[in-house]
Amino acid sequence: MATSSGSEPGPSREGEENKEKDERMFECNICLDTARDAVVSMCGHLFCWPCLHQWLDTRPNRQVCPVCKAVISKDKVIPLYGRGSGKQEDPRNKVPPRPPGHRTEPENTNGFPGFGFGDGGFQMSFGIGAFPFSFFTSSFNFGEPRPNPAPVGTPQFGEEQFLSRVFLYIACVFILWLLLA
Amino acid sequence: MASPSQKRLQRELKLMQSEPPPGMTVDHEEAMQDLTRWIINVEGAPGTLYEGEHFQLQFKFGSRYPFDSPQVMFTGQNIPIHPHVYSNGHICLSILTDDWSPALSVQAVCLSIVSMLSSCKEKKRPLDNTFYIKTCHKNPKKTKWWYHDDEV
Repeated sequence: MATSSGSEPGPSREGEENKEKDERMFECNICLDTARDAVVSMCGHLFCWPCLHQWLDTRPNRQVCPVCKAVISKDKVIPLYGRGSGKQEDPRNKVPPRPPGHRTEPENTNGFPGFGFGDGGFQMSFGIGAFPFSFFTSSFNFGEPRPNPAPVGTPQFGEEQFLSRVFLYIACVFILWLLLA
Repeated sequence: MASPSQKRLQRELKLMQSEPPPGMTVDHEEAMQDLTRWIINVEGAPGTLYEGEHFQLQFKFGSRYPFDSPQVMFTGQNIPIHPHVYSNGHICLSILTDDWSPALSVQAVCLSIVSMLSSCKEKKRPLDNTFYIKTCHKNPKKTKWWYHDDEV
């Protein structure tokens, strides 16, 4: 029949429109595509993480929400995990991973596991014992910043070699003393 | 494979055609030929000094769009006479440079420009027009704009 052709403005079309609107609800505010690796800012605006990251990189000294110009930062966005997320190819090859969601573990009631007393004592004395060496090595360098080692063959080169050997022996003796005492 | 900026431009072009904002039409054929250069025909809003006038806006998009703002200027025969529009078509509008945001679109920029025209109370060129058009760069984005007048 001739009259049957043409589009029918029926519920099917309306449904399609609604569906389109629904989809637009979840579009990234930057690329206008469905948000992938979706994150939401504290002000409630939805973006793809790669898009938002690129925008924040574009203006490092003025980090504002593209939609409402509220101050935002990379740490203060919330990732959205839908049921269908994951598995797809990872578009974040060039972008640092999405920041993790913030969740707090229930408080751990166990205290710090106690070490043997002797162990602690050993660590302590080693720490103090190391101090003079770092002190000597830093104060026996002439001038600041650390000069390059003297060229081979000069008297200064010999001196430096001698000094470093002396400190090496002192360190060995010290460590031996620590072990034996 | 289309780059992200091309993809977004295609989306915007489609939206511009399916739901054009009042008084604006995009020159579709021109845009299809070169997606990085659009011409948009704009009508002066009714009830304003520009009622009944027709203008053309030219948009040029770089490869970093939408992270970088597009180059926007008036073109064609009729350049509106407005304190923020130079006679070579350059527009002094902060969202085109400093205040650009990737959430803005061609449509949003056009609406801002029409509303800038609409709030004008007296048709006149910018004070430094003659000097500016002699010395400025062809690309309005190269101008160091000084946004000082929020009234129009």
